[in-house]
Parts: sequence; structure tokens; C-alpha cells
Amino acid sequence: MMSSHVGSMLLFSGFVSLVFALLMKDEVGEQVRFGAMLFAGFAAAGVVLGWLMFAFPL
Amino acid sequence: MARRQPAPKDTTAAALVCALAWAVPGAGHLWLGRAQKGAAFLIALPLMYATGLWLDGQIFPFDFAQPLVALAALADVGIGAPYLVARALGVGEGRVVAVTYEYGNAFLVVAGLLNTLVVLDAYDIALGRK
Repeated sequence: MMSSHVGSMLLFSGFVSLVFALLMKDEVGEQVRFGAMLFAGFAAAGVVLGWLMFAFPL
Repeated sequence: MARRQPAPKDTTAAALVCALAWAVPGAGHLWLGRAQKGAAFLIALPLMYATGLWLDGQIFPFDFAQPLVALAALADVGIGAPYLVARALGVGEGRVVAVTYEYGNAFLVVAGLLNTLVVLDAYDIALGRK
């Protein structure tokens, strides 16, 4: 069983980025670029929000 | 200047494509000749749903006394055949004490919602809008 929070978040981001890239773009090159950008955005936002929650716990 | 309207297509056929796209993720795109997208959806969305089940997520019941649970149940149904298969096999009971329970729920719900977007995309393609 995968219990890594970061691992789960990255896996989730991968699936969502893949589907959105395919829905939003038609050319393979565009899909790869858009998907990679989306995935990086998800991962970066996850890390930033994680650190903010560390400093300001709910 | 008049806005160019797409050529009218058969809405009945488009509705059938939607039903097919809902039942089997990606099948609508495959039917419409978008093989690359269809194959990717066919693999990715059921895999995402299966990952949610593997992470001890719960397939929510239609409990209208709890509106958020009912909405989550509606989202779960969005994945189509994998939902029916999971229900038939009796999986997706969820294990609340599992550390991955909430992650599993997120995977299940979002897989269903993503397939709903895929259905809408197939509908647009069938009507000639894309």
C-alpha cells in the first residue's frame, strides 16, 4: 500500500494532467508541453501549500 | 459579421456516442476516430479508478440526507463500466481508518468527473464543434 503523501499527490497530478492535456490540445507536441506544465504546476502548488500549512496549521 | 455556425449533425447519434463514452471511458473518442485520445482515456481513467479502490477509497452511496455524499456518489457513477464492475464485485466499501482513505476517495471521485468531461468532449466532436 502506498502511504506516501507526495507519491499519492504526484500520481493524482499525473492522471489529471494527462487527461486535461488530451482534452485541451490536439497536437502531440502541444499535449506533452501542456501536460508537463500542468503536472509541474500541480506539484509546485502542492509543495508550496504544504509548507504554508506547516507554518499556518488549520 | 455573422458568426460561423458549425454544420448541424445528428443529435441522436451524438447522444449515443455520449452513452458509449460514459459506459466505456475513451470508447466515444475511439468510435469517432480519435484513436490516440481514446486509447489514452481507455487506459488512464479505469486505472485511476482502480488506484482509488486500491487506496481503500469508498464508492459512496446515494444518501440524499447528506447532499455532499450524494454528489460524491454521482461523481463516482461518472466513470461508467468500472463503477458497475466494482459494485458487482462488492469492492469500494472503503476503510475509514486507512491512511490512504481520503486519497482513494479523491481518485475515485475525480476519475468519474474526468470521464464526464471526456463525455462532453466526445459530444462536441460528434456535433462537429471540434
